[in-house]
Amino acid sequence: MKAVKGRMLFGGAHVPDNKSLAKNAPIEELPEPPEVKIAMSQSLGRPAVPCVNAGDTVLKGQLIARADGAVSSDVFASVSGEVTGVCELENECGNKDTFVCIRSDGTGKTQYLPPLENPSAEQIVERVKEAGIVGLGGAGFPTAVKLRPKTPVDTFIVNGAECEPYLTCDYRVMIERTDDVMRGARYIAKALGVENIIIGIERNKPDCIEAFEKYSDVKVVSLKKIYPMGGEKQLIYSATGRKIKLGQLPADVGVIVNNVATCLAVCEAVETGKPACEAILTVSGKSVKKPANVKVPVGTPISYIIEHCGGEAEAPKKAVLGGPMTGVAIKSYDNYVKKTTSGILLLSEKEAAAEEPTPCLNCGLCADHCPMHLMPMNTAFYSSAGDIDNAVKLGGVMYCIECGVCEYVCPAKRPLIQAIRNTKAAVRAKNKGGKQ
Amino acid sequence: MNSSIVISTPPHVKSKRTTKKIMLDVLIALAPAAICGIVYFLWDALILEVTCVAFAVLAEFVYFFIAKGGFNVRFANKETKTLAKDIKQLKKSGQPADEACAQLKDKRSQLRKEAFSKSGAVCKKWARQFDFTSVVTGLILALILPPTVHWYEAAIGAVFAIVVVKMVFGGTGKNIANPASVGRVFMLISFVITMNIYPAANFGPIDGATLGTGSTYLSGALLTDNPNLEAMSLLDLFLGTGVAGCIGETCKLALIAGYIYLCVRRVIKWWQPVLFLAVTGLMTVALNGDFAFFLPSILSGGVMFGAIFMMTDYVTSPKGLYAQIVYYALGGLLVAVLRHFTHLEVTSFVIIIMNLIVPLLDNFIRRRPFGYVKEKKNKEGAGK
Repeated sequence: MKAVKGRMLFGGAHVPDNKSLAKNAPIEELPEPPEVKIAMSQSLGRPAVPCVNAGDTVLKGQLIARADGAVSSDVFASVSGEVTGVCELENECGNKDTFVCIRSDGTGKTQYLPPLENPSAEQIVERVKEAGIVGLGGAGFPTAVKLRPKTPVDTFIVNGAECEPYLTCDYRVMIERTDDVMRGARYIAKALGVENIIIGIERNKPDCIEAFEKYSDVKVVSLKKIYPMGGEKQLIYSATGRKIKLGQLPADVGVIVNNVATCLAVCEAVETGKPACEAILTVSGKSVKKPANVKVPVGTPISYIIEHCGGEAEAPKKAVLGGPMTGVAIKSYDNYVKKTTSGILLLSEKEAAAEEPTPCLNCGLCADHCPMHLMPMNTAFYSSAGDIDNAVKLGGVMYCIECGVCEYVCPAKRPLIQAIRNTKAAVRAKNKGGKQ
Repeated sequence: MNSSIVISTPPHVKSKRTTKKIMLDVLIALAPAAICGIVYFLWDALILEVTCVAFAVLAEFVYFFIAKGGFNVRFANKETKTLAKDIKQLKKSGQPADEACAQLKDKRSQLRKEAFSKSGAVCKKWARQFDFTSVVTGLILALILPPTVHWYEAAIGAVFAIVVVKMVFGGTGKNIANPASVGRVFMLISFVITMNIYPAANFGPIDGATLGTGSTYLSGALLTDNPNLEAMSLLDLFLGTGVAGCIGETCKLALIAGYIYLCVRRVIKWWQPVLFLAVTGLMTVALNGDFAFFLPSILSGGVMFGAIFMMTDYVTSPKGLYAQIVYYALGGLLVAVLRHFTHLEVTSFVIIIMNLIVPLLDNFIRRRPFGYVKEKKNKEGAGK
């Protein structure tokens, strides 16, 4: 179907996308790393519980940890080999996490689920759950939970906006695996029982828009190139004109959103029975010698991937897991790929932001650009004074999606996101204390 | 992996825009008006501009130096004092004091070194945080003064604007009213005679013949009681030639050039000054009942300068869109009404009044988050 233009969005910022670095590098499958360390907290919710012990032999795709609770997800071995240990390690956020370490035997033997042919809606949801698929847009919300909405849904949106600068893995997936993404989207639509499939793509990816225009059962929406167009609320508004009310979920307005990478994972899980044990990610930034898009087993060490991309071109100022606007800065390469990891960025001195903050000008640029129409400067001002009540009331923090636009545009380089997170944490602590 | 790697909360990339760059943009936008002022009023304008900027920067530096403990240094301590006493006693008793003297000299030079390095550190800190805001304040203040003002009066005004209005409230971004505007009003009530004489811009030294007593055609004793609109040339008003006025406010062409630059650089939003001026003009028309008043009202006096450079000051304007609309519209309204009834040029007073009600505007016209729905509309809004 011919692409239609999405609605205007108030707020957001034009962030130089720097996608040209890795845009033309096809997705390349790296050789299996000698050892993987798979984190147990791969999604929102509680970490999974390991069900293998040191010394066990596992095959690629075999269950190694069971979900603990409704919003947790199963974890699978990503290489075949021997479990060398279940250990506690520091994850990228600096917290302790349980990791299952597997030494690869190099045989690449697999143990996938049986492929489904012509599955029913219930079968698809069950398969998505069995395969441990989580939302690959970043938050890692288990997809199976999303596929069982509590309110009636009439639209399914595929999120192909990829508004984060630098990242190009979704772009490559859309170009190289167009058909697989479409089939995955159809499976999800079938599971939800909806006919209306929309794919939202930013206008800086015209070849993707063209690729999806071939299909007659999908409505392509070309979105304005503005960050954060890929935010759930923003995407739904731009693509359908529906506003999600504060405190509501997309399903409340009859919409479910999934990332293109999630669609691909669903397609693979249904057709080949492959569980979520691989991640497609972008390695980019001016400090990387050979920016690339790679497909690696979950648990691959970051240092291994960087080595395969030619190593460092110059000393990086910041190393980031994920996109530059919302990703996590890591302090060493001793971290491991998760299901949701969408990129590894080594930002050079010139690219990375590490300026000293100067006094707030009160210019209001943060408020002008906020896609949620909040007042970040009020939050920063009151939370630094310890006045949490006013920080919440006047700044509207609790509705913040932490997209980072406010801090991006701030001419004084104030640490606004930090203030917002502090306030949120203080409110959460307060609420917890009140209930007990 | 190098050790100088930085970890922080996201975002890990930031825009290239800084406070310094914004202030430099404002200075560039002010340049045409400042140059026009010098062309029209020669030395008088140049001296005022230089004085205001210099004293504004100096006042900021001195305040910073004192506040950060630049003067809080000692050239003498207990040791040197006792040593000095000893030397005195030794000298009294006629004993040789060379050794003690050398010791004292050493100690003193050490103290001096420490003191200078401490003061030097404060100076360096000031240089690092210097963001041109005081230069902008000084230049704006100079441009809204009549060229007849003495340089020392201007200096007092600049120091007042910086110290009392800006630094005392906490420096950049914390002042509650526009410093330049308050500085001008302070001078207006302190130096009544010089501040109320406006010579005409005639490309030469000021002479007594062209002195007027109002900064606008619609004010002053000559024209208010019986405005003779035909006697004015709109082109003269626009270019400021032969028109009485303040240094930077006379040439509207230069101001519009600055306005366009600020809009292109996205320092201000294009509609803000336009709304302010449109409301001023329309209200004047409504009060006088004649459309011929529209252009003269917005072309005379400081209203255009105020609309472009002073109302739009980031620090003292509201943040939400609706609050901004009310702010500019109400400001324009006040200018027209007060001008009509007081026959004075009131822009700087109006700017201060509007600045002071900004907290009220921000408080009452609260911004609603994306997706906010009023309670009543809940029923029909569902599913749409």
